[in-house]
Amino acid sequence: MAERKHRRVVQQPDHRANRTILVRTLILLAVFGVAVFIPLFVRLWQIQIRDYDRFQELAVEQQTGDSVVAAQRGVIYDRNGEVLAMSATVYNIQLSPKEILACQEAYADDVKNGKEPDYPEPTDEFIASNLAQILGLEEEDILKRLEKTYSMYEIIAQRVDEDTRNEVLAFTTENHITGIFTPPTTMRIYPKGSLAAQVIGWVNPNTENTGAYGIEAQYESVLAGETGRIVTAKNADGTQMLYQYENYYDGMDGCDLELTLDSKIQSFCENILAKGIEQFEVQDGGFCIAMDPNTGEILAWANSPTFDANDPWAVSDPVLLQYLADIESGEYTKEEAYQKALAEGATTEEARDTAISAAESEVLYKQWANRSISSTYEPGSTFKSIVLAAALEEGVVSESSTFYCSGVAQVDGWSGPPIQCSDRDGHGTQTLAKAVANSCNPAFIAIGQALGAEKFYNYLEDFGFLEKTGIDVLGESNINPVSAGLIWDRDKFTNVDLAVASFGQRFQVTPLQLITAAAAVINGGHLMQPYVVSQVTDTDGNVVQHTEPTEVRQVISEQTSERCRTILEGVVNGGTGHNAAVEGYRIGGKTGSSQTLYGSDYTIVSFLGFAPADDPQVIILLAYNSPKPAAPGANTTAGGWYISGGNMAAPMAGELLEDILGYLGVEKTYTASADVLVPNLVGLDLASATASLEKNGLSLRTVGDGAAVTGQIPAAGASIPGGSQVVLYMGEEVPTDQVTVPSVVGLTAAQAEEKLAAQGLYMRATGASDYSSGVVAYEQSVAAGTSVDRGTTVEVRFSDSSASGEGL
Amino acid sequence: MEEQLARGPMDLPFLMLVVLLTGIGVIMVFSASYATAYYEGRDPTFYFFRQGLFAVAGLAIMYVVSKINYQTFRWLSVFALILAILLLIAVLIPGIHTDRSDNVKRWIAVPGLGTFQPSEIAKVAVIMYFSSRLSKRNTEKPVRLSPRSPLSGVVGVLDRIGLLELVPYGLILLLIVFLMSREPHMSGTLLILAGAAAVLFAAGIKLRWFALGASALAGLLLLVMQDYQSTRILVWQDPWSYKQDGGWQIIQSLYAIGSGGLLGLGLGKSRQKFLYLPEPENDFIFAIVCEELGLIGAAVILILFALLVIRGYWIAIHARDRFGALLVVGITTLTAVQVFLNIAVVTNLIPTTGISLPFFSYGGTALMIQLAEMGVVLSVSRQIPPTKQE
Repeated sequence: MAERKHRRVVQQPDHRANRTILVRTLILLAVFGVAVFIPLFVRLWQIQIRDYDRFQELAVEQQTGDSVVAAQRGVIYDRNGEVLAMSATVYNIQLSPKEILACQEAYADDVKNGKEPDYPEPTDEFIASNLAQILGLEEEDILKRLEKTYSMYEIIAQRVDEDTRNEVLAFTTENHITGIFTPPTTMRIYPKGSLAAQVIGWVNPNTENTGAYGIEAQYESVLAGETGRIVTAKNADGTQMLYQYENYYDGMDGCDLELTLDSKIQSFCENILAKGIEQFEVQDGGFCIAMDPNTGEILAWANSPTFDANDPWAVSDPVLLQYLADIESGEYTKEEAYQKALAEGATTEEARDTAISAAESEVLYKQWANRSISSTYEPGSTFKSIVLAAALEEGVVSESSTFYCSGVAQVDGWSGPPIQCSDRDGHGTQTLAKAVANSCNPAFIAIGQALGAEKFYNYLEDFGFLEKTGIDVLGESNINPVSAGLIWDRDKFTNVDLAVASFGQRFQVTPLQLITAAAAVINGGHLMQPYVVSQVTDTDGNVVQHTEPTEVRQVISEQTSERCRTILEGVVNGGTGHNAAVEGYRIGGKTGSSQTLYGSDYTIVSFLGFAPADDPQVIILLAYNSPKPAAPGANTTAGGWYISGGNMAAPMAGELLEDILGYLGVEKTYTASADVLVPNLVGLDLASATASLEKNGLSLRTVGDGAAVTGQIPAAGASIPGGSQVVLYMGEEVPTDQVTVPSVVGLTAAQAEEKLAAQGLYMRATGASDYSSGVVAYEQSVAAGTSVDRGTTVEVRFSDSSASGEGL
Repeated sequence: MEEQLARGPMDLPFLMLVVLLTGIGVIMVFSASYATAYYEGRDPTFYFFRQGLFAVAGLAIMYVVSKINYQTFRWLSVFALILAILLLIAVLIPGIHTDRSDNVKRWIAVPGLGTFQPSEIAKVAVIMYFSSRLSKRNTEKPVRLSPRSPLSGVVGVLDRIGLLELVPYGLILLLIVFLMSREPHMSGTLLILAGAAAVLFAAGIKLRWFALGASALAGLLLLVMQDYQSTRILVWQDPWSYKQDGGWQIIQSLYAIGSGGLLGLGLGKSRQKFLYLPEPENDFIFAIVCEELGLIGAAVILILFALLVIRGYWIAIHARDRFGALLVVGITTLTAVQVFLNIAVVTNLIPTTGISLPFFSYGGTALMIQLAEMGVVLSVSRQIPPTKQE
């Protein structure tokens, strides 16, 4: 109050002081009430609007956890639902030496504090020895890993099964060990191992289980499914906050594939391939394709060398192993790699290592590759079936046409030595069917000439040799065969080219092209698109994709096709393919021996076969690459096999077709010498028994002199070759002892039958259509030395070992 | 008459702004703190309830203070200043300040209330004392030494250039700066200096002394800019290169603000509060505000602050006397500076200083003191002469 009075007295300065405060407060207002807020607004605008995207992205990146939901890879089935490839959960065994150390320290602390744990001390040695025992590892190696106590992630074993994992877990829980983990992972399992390995392909665990070859690679996206993601909010510690924010990106398990392959037929093919490779000392593997000619479905697709898809890096093929051994022992060198390494300054030792590893990868690629789709070869005489079809369709030849073969043929425009026929003496005059059966080159040159280059080339195109087959398997080359120099350019297709093309030489096709074209020849003229994947189904069983047979085009008429079948049946029935004959089945086909660019001793012997000839259910193409001649330039192998399609591929093909047809349930139809069923004769008198047997084309022998038949060998219902002798026991006891099967290999049919009959056994001869002196047994269905019942029928396979000409 | 004046109406706009900001602040503390509370193993509403209680108590205190005739602060200010200085000394004594691993001695524990900073008291005390003394500036008796005194010439010169009257203020500030540098507490010192400077400035102290003071301060800052401080500058320039040295917090703050965008993620939906942004309920609460409410929400709050500040100055201009005016100028400026520095730090406009956001940052005693200061402003507003209210 006193102040107020006082202030009134000195009002002038008061007034000035008030003014100062007013002015200065207004200045402060302008600064702190307005000005300072402006930069703040600007700054907020910059961060929240201008740089929004950047900060938003960075923030979301750190705020969200992205966890992966692995999709189950689809299963691959064969046509009968047999599993060819599947995925299973397996486990890695992971150590965290850091945590194990902590666990050991905790144990030590307990001991120090007087707590005596009732379990053993988790020493490194204790853990290592136990794990080594469970996992089958070296204790040393585990100890080394355990020493890395800074590490938290040491995988000591990969892809162990659940049992092993449980053992590991039991060990850790029992002994209170922390720091051993068993994270699950998946593994691809191929239950049938090497079966169709090149077609199915395999999954590479080193590339996150993606398909590396074959169907596995081709259908990678379908099989793999979609990996799901769960995006969740997480806090700075990485803990997921599910309640906060969560987004599912649905994963989808992979679809299952059903293949057209038939495991059974596939294994027939693989077995016959392996058998021939061993028997004929085949140097460079081979292939065998079986197809349903009516649909283009691939029933089997075997390649050799092959491998176990469960362990694609292992080499198991004997030929490849031999090659590797030779390289390592220095017998061969990978010359190119060796020289290159030398040029790069490597020592001879290093260069040798380089060469060896080059050989190893060469071998791996060789066994992984599906060669019958990616590589080409000269089809040789098998191609004559195509030429035949074209000529018949065009009407330039007919069944009544005749061809003369003098052993050589002259071609206009060819100035070199005349083209020789396989039969140097000439086949003489032959009908069309006989010319095909003889695989006569001069005759086919004449057929080709009759057709003319223009039409011939048209058929090359129509049968699909200038395009991809369009099969749904990786590996078909995109390269145009003309520009690749495999097939002549139409404009440059000369008369000489036409002549050699007529018997399948000097041009290259893929095995798949050939079998597809050949299928068109015999199936009524329909060029089908071959396929392997018949159906794709999702995890709920819905059919996602179903492949229907696709006809590319009709190449020849039904009638022409039928005529071709008849003529080609003649090849097996008495022609160059007679070794493929199977008693009871009507088989058609064409042999082939292809020359190659790899040298005169590298021959591809092949057989193109189909059955039954009147209504083909299956067509096969079987080839062996390079049977080893006994000596350079020799015509036969060390085992005495004449190197030709007719002598090597045909008998194998016959055996294979018999297996396949039997499996497919195609009934055998027997002619005169065919098997007959033994009727029940017990109780009959001799006269009626004799009559009954005669009716069935069987002869008889009696033992004892009773009035009625008391026993018989073979028993009623047995199937024995027609004309065989049945033993009737008239009041005598039927012997029940067993007899030993003799070896008949190397004998002629007559000798073999006699030898077997001496033991009370019957022989069923197969593999040849006539059993002249040149035909000898090479195999018997019951091994020599086996004890069998009397009256058992032994199947004996014969082969014509007499020399046959080139080009068969 | 005076009694009547003191019973005038409070300035409603100012009151409403304070209540509004306090309300929003408490809500934002809830939103920003529940993750922290949860991860600390507390009840998610722990911080919210405490802050809410303090806000209610603070508003009550504000009301009580607003009812006090602010003229009593004239004489109270001396004791307030003495108390503040004693507290600043006390806080340096081991056993009184709270024990912290970083050995910073800023807080005194009060049983039941938590902790408080003596510097908060010092802020108000300095403003009060300076206002009180400066309001009587023109009536102050000049120091007149005997003409025979050997110092009379020097004193005369000093008096004429206006330095002499600054000596007591300077000494007080030097003492406080010295004491606080022992804590150390640079941001608090800065705020006290800002409040004091505002009062001195408004009171009409010649500008050259501010220029001199500012340059002296700048020189001092350069001098003390040792490793610790210069790192702050480096972090400020490029927080991404110094994640381990304090950059983390500012990066997370920028992420929070940035990801808010124009409209924000929505109240309560901040993601950065989940352990990314350290102490989101505290100095960096505005980053969470920006993240949840977007540029729009942040701008609204800034505008509310600006309006509060402007209304504060309006009250100062219309205050009944110079003491009231200077008091309000000091408190208003202090609040404005705090808001500016806090948001400038959060948006990485300036290097980090530990300044909390008035009404928002979690801290019970600070909020209560803040609201008490607002009570002082309201108290001044109640004595605005009706004639002046045009």
